[in-house]
Amino acid sequence: MLERPAVLAAEFPPSVEEFFTPSLIAGAGDWLTKFTLYTWVTVALLIIFFLVAYRNPKLVPTKTQWIAESVYGFGRNTVAKDMIGPEGIRFAPYLTTLFVFILVMNFYAIVPGIQISPNSHIAFPAILAVISYVMFIWLGVRKHGFGKYFKTALMPPAPWFMMPILIPIELFSTFIARPATLALRLFANMFAGHMILLVFTLGGFALFNADSLWIKPLSLLSWLMAVVLTFLEFLIIVLQSYVFVVLTSSYIQGALADEH
Amino acid sequence: MAGDQNPNPPRGDDDPPLGASQGWSAVAYLIGGIAVWGLIGWMVDRWLGTNGIAAAVGAVIGAAGGVYLIVRRLGAK
Repeated sequence: MLERPAVLAAEFPPSVEEFFTPSLIAGAGDWLTKFTLYTWVTVALLIIFFLVAYRNPKLVPTKTQWIAESVYGFGRNTVAKDMIGPEGIRFAPYLTTLFVFILVMNFYAIVPGIQISPNSHIAFPAILAVISYVMFIWLGVRKHGFGKYFKTALMPPAPWFMMPILIPIELFSTFIARPATLALRLFANMFAGHMILLVFTLGGFALFNADSLWIKPLSLLSWLMAVVLTFLEFLIIVLQSYVFVVLTSSYIQGALADEH
Repeated sequence: MAGDQNPNPPRGDDDPPLGASQGWSAVAYLIGGIAVWGLIGWMVDRWLGTNGIAAAVGAVIGAAGGVYLIVRRLGAK
């Protein structure tokens, strides 16, 4: 709660400036802001959690081990195996890591006192999308060879005279729209979620400070909405991390598939 | 994993993930088609000085191409 006073001063309406957090230590610049701090904390939490959970595995798992195994089982069976197929299991570690990383990063959006996710800054989803992008192209090229991969990716099964119309669309939707939408979807959801919570929380203060006595009670309604929307935000947090890994695995599946 | 205890019963319905990703790629084809050919049409407009006719034709061609791609790529095989 380092930058909170600015928020409590209740500048209403909130602006995009909220998403450019200042440096925590003078001189560190953008390398140590709230966002980078939360990201490192996330990494540390995940490493420690999985190390502890698997340090001394038992046949009858302890509660921590059970949670870790459930999470990995979800990434392995529901995402990797169902989406990519049996050969997808080798991607299960990456997909599970990606899922829990995004999940925890998103979760800061509703942790009281923090309530902002690093993923509401485009840089973080963008890097994750770039990793997925490079990954599926690399896998496709490695499996099919450069020429054949791009040929199957760009040339749909269609008569030759349709090709000039279809190839630009394929090029756009596969190699431009995919990474852009992957990053934007996650970013925009977290950005909008934070904005909505800010609007209702700060809006409550704004209403409370209103001159008219009739408007003041409405602040309670505004704060109630903030609480309700926090639960909605939780749903979005889980859903968006799920969508991100599902789409990543579907891109991998598409790159590995033997095209028609 | 040895001793893998999966508390969730194996999901028989693998429709949600598959359906979700197919839905997204269908949307990408549709919007992509209109955007790409609309943009090309718009550039033709600027080149020839036609007032938005080429952009409109391009958008329609793009929409048709997008639908065609959805049928070929995502339709029943």
